[in-house]
Amino acid sequence: MLTFKLAIRNLFRNTRRTILTAILISFSLMALIMADGLMLGMKDLLVSSLTKNLVGEAQLHRKGFRDNFDVDLYFTGTDDLVADLRGRPEVTEVASRVLSGGMVSSSYNVATGMVFGIDAEAETRIGNIKKAIIEGQYLTGERGEIMLGRPMAELLEVSLGDRIVITLSEADGGDLSQALFRVSGIYYFGLREIDHNTVFINADQARQAVGISADASHELVMVFEDLSVSREKTSTVFDDFNNEQLELKSWMELNEDIATMLELSGLSTLVIGSILFLLASLGVINSMFMSIYERLYEFGVARAIGTTPWQLAQLILCEALLLGIGSCLFGGVIGYGLISYTTLHGLPLGEFEMSGIALSGNIATQMQLSQFTELPFYIILLTLVAALYPARFASKIVPTEALSRSL
Amino acid sequence: MTHFLIRLTLVCFVSISAFGEPDSAVDARAIKIIDDMERIYRGESSRAEMTMKVQTPQYERTMKMSSVSRGEEKSFIRLLSPKKDRGISTLKLDEEMWNYFPKINKVIKVPPSMMMGSWMGSDFTNDDLVKQTSLTEEYDLALEETEDTWRITLTPKAQTVTVWGKIDYVVDRNLMIPLAQNYYDDRGEMIRSLAFMEPKEFSGKLLPSRLEMIPLKKEGHKTVIIYETLEFDPADGTEEAFTLRNLKSRF
Amino acid sequence: MLLLKLAFRNIFRQRRRSLLTALSMGGGFYLCAIAISMTDGSYNNIIRAFTLSQTGHIQIHKGNYLLRPKIHTTIDNPFELSTILDNDSSVKSHAQRVYAPALAYSDTDNNPASVRGLDLEQEAMTTRIKQKVTSGEYINANMDDEGYFQAMIGAGLVDALNIGLGGEIILISQGADGSVANDVYKVGAIIGEKDSPERYNVYLPLLAAQEFLSMPGRVHEIAIVLNDDKAARSVARSLQSRMQTQLPDQFSGLTVSPWQVVESTFYKTMQSDKEGNKFSLGIIIFIVFIGVLNTVLMSVLERTREFGVLIAIGSRPFTITTLITLEMGILALLSIAAALVFALPSVIWFTEVGFEMAQPMDVGGFMFSHMRGEFSATVFTTPALIILGSALLVSIPPGLRAARIAPTKAMGAH
Repeated sequence: MLTFKLAIRNLFRNTRRTILTAILISFSLMALIMADGLMLGMKDLLVSSLTKNLVGEAQLHRKGFRDNFDVDLYFTGTDDLVADLRGRPEVTEVASRVLSGGMVSSSYNVATGMVFGIDAEAETRIGNIKKAIIEGQYLTGERGEIMLGRPMAELLEVSLGDRIVITLSEADGGDLSQALFRVSGIYYFGLREIDHNTVFINADQARQAVGISADASHELVMVFEDLSVSREKTSTVFDDFNNEQLELKSWMELNEDIATMLELSGLSTLVIGSILFLLASLGVINSMFMSIYERLYEFGVARAIGTTPWQLAQLILCEALLLGIGSCLFGGVIGYGLISYTTLHGLPLGEFEMSGIALSGNIATQMQLSQFTELPFYIILLTLVAALYPARFASKIVPTEALSRSL
Repeated sequence: MTHFLIRLTLVCFVSISAFGEPDSAVDARAIKIIDDMERIYRGESSRAEMTMKVQTPQYERTMKMSSVSRGEEKSFIRLLSPKKDRGISTLKLDEEMWNYFPKINKVIKVPPSMMMGSWMGSDFTNDDLVKQTSLTEEYDLALEETEDTWRITLTPKAQTVTVWGKIDYVVDRNLMIPLAQNYYDDRGEMIRSLAFMEPKEFSGKLLPSRLEMIPLKKEGHKTVIIYETLEFDPADGTEEAFTLRNLKSRF
Repeated sequence: MLLLKLAFRNIFRQRRRSLLTALSMGGGFYLCAIAISMTDGSYNNIIRAFTLSQTGHIQIHKGNYLLRPKIHTTIDNPFELSTILDNDSSVKSHAQRVYAPALAYSDTDNNPASVRGLDLEQEAMTTRIKQKVTSGEYINANMDDEGYFQAMIGAGLVDALNIGLGGEIILISQGADGSVANDVYKVGAIIGEKDSPERYNVYLPLLAAQEFLSMPGRVHEIAIVLNDDKAARSVARSLQSRMQTQLPDQFSGLTVSPWQVVESTFYKTMQSDKEGNKFSLGIIIFIVFIGVLNTVLMSVLERTREFGVLIAIGSRPFTITTLITLEMGILALLSIAAALVFALPSVIWFTEVGFEMAQPMDVGGFMFSHMRGEFSATVFTTPALIILGSALLVSIPPGLRAARIAPTKAMGAH
């Protein structure tokens, strides 16, 4: 206990030195917390900007549907499938969709497009579709409603209320079927592939137009309670629903190019993270070394009056430990305050668009417990380890040499 | 397309006849003509030679073609000029369509999705040619009379599937032939106009020989169809014309 | 001069202290350089792979072809334009293209296809098309003995049409003169994989495509690859203004677009990634700064006694400040120089070899097996400036303070 008391007293005796070292250690911790939070936040933002734009976190199809979007490759038993999926705790929402390529005609022009028959209500819990509306309103389930992307609306020279005739091939036969709609909403995702080509109508009307039963669909899209479920495929759905007829794929498998980019981004994050750690470690070690070497005279005195080498080493290590804990407490508290703020309000990084969704400049960081348990633990450990060599060095000094210090 | 022209004409008469209490003499005559025409045109076969001129800001193209058709379900068209395209032929049976290209000596089937495109690069769509609508059931009719013309305005009913807000036909009362067919959007702006001109006698019937289709919103676009010859119920039976083999035959 | 000598001597006098300070500076420099190299590298490598795959750095079109592709929106004098590009020193190579949507038929099936007419030789020098051939051989522009032109088809069409090398593919489209374009070609090569973005493309020799579409001598696009891949926007701007002011008769109505405009979705996604990286780099720089701050401060403050003696024997306060600043400056420079010895080979290694990734990545048809860094001036100058700047900045306040302290107090310090 004497060691402990001495250690505390030593720390406060040369406050300036202590504070300097403490600042380094605590700021390093803060920086690591913020960096970690930012990286998590960025990754999630990129992922969710994709998954919330129609892709969802996983999709179920007939095998082979995705190759050509063949309208004949629909599955039946939609209600049962949906109920089964919804019943699983990790699945937050499931929505069914009917897809068909077709011609979209107005009084003025004609365009090819992809018709998405959606379950309007459920889709609001899957993605950002409702938020993407810039004119008019979202689908309410009434007959004849249709939402177009702004570029397509411009090409067809239509505005709200104008006539649209959709012509498509029926399933299992290929007869042409036509249906009348009135533009009820105009949306803009900012993603060219969707905005230029996709129209949304109510699923039941789509089923009628395509000529499939009320129980048939082309796609089930779902979201889970956490992004990690789809990333690591930790749900049983990925096994249960992959059979000869059907396949259930995560968004990463469906969007390999984005997944690839994320992987690369993840790698570079890893590298940056490692560099950050190394820097922080370097700083802590350097700081500890310096503070100890500056006190050689003091240690010489201590040895001269009879402190054993081991006691001296113990003292130094104890100081390091206390310093580490104290700095981490301090850094942790400030870090907590900072990251809480940025998690709520985001980092002001200016305007930029990401995958089409214009962000008004704020990336929200993510807070995690590990930031306040693992990171400080590592820093404290590092502080201790950094003090090992100097402690050993100090314990081995010859008092006379130390005491004869020059300027 | 022979049946195309006849169909348009028939439509006008059907619409006129849909009107309430006819004025004795004139309308009784109209009804009789309609009855006669319906008897004549139903299931009728015909043969024609025509010229089609397509004008766009980028090019002008003149095609000569010969065609044979029976009713609304079967038709066969062969391009005679320009030389590069001579021999290209199209066979339509109900809702299926095949093309033959002599340059590559292949017959290909036109997939349903292509049926929405423009017909031969003109301002007509396949839809114009293929669709069978029951005008009186799907539209509300209104009639305006002047000394020389009847104008019949068709307004689609709420459930009618069409991109047009309004279509009107202008008919020459004296000659009983169509003069114009105009297509409007919901706001009443004319988007397409089809003019029927230069009436001639074809096989004893008076029909317009020149059709001009102008999409009013696309500057510099126009399609003109001129009927050089038009025969009804040609002497030689025309069933063999509607076969895939005929696409490739010498002519 | 005396000061300089003193500064040097001081540095080497207290070796341990100097070494530790130098370590934080040098280490900071090294790690910072690696970080910048890696982030710039991965960013630039992806862009490079993407742009050299198909897009090129700059594309020239007529009018608004990029937004509303129509078959008759063509560049009608591509030969003259090529000549100008040949004489432009910033242009590495360029290639002309013709595009049209079509229906492809085999004996048994049909499928929509995207026809691309390429100047085969030029294209091979400009983009990576030749490397994308997975089966057969990159075709040439000549007709074969039977009078057929050859075509390269995407792997998706192989399945959709049930067709293979040597097979006949029929293309139907609409010509620029309104006629129905129809012709037969022999499949000479297969491009890419079943899930490549090119899977439904049909590549024809340029002349064959122009004949097919009845548009002799006209093209839809000229793609340009530059010598400096970072200069896309500025070269595009200067090309555009040149065409508008100097040669308006020939080239008015042409639009010159850098790849950032052509592939705006990709660019935006990369930009956002870069933004995130910038912040991470900012944190790194912050930590480096703190590290330098810490060691410099500590080393200066620990020498209060020494400075006290100096003042006592008559040094001017300003001299002390200068001395300290000079020491730190020199130390920074020396550390940077020493770190450079390690940094240069490391960055070179990252750039040439890099980290091997668990799974190779496909970016626009280019397989990334390694994550590579970038070797450029910025990689070294930025950290150098940061280290030097922080060292100098940080040494001034304590230097001033040390200079003003009363000698007796200073010498009595611990």
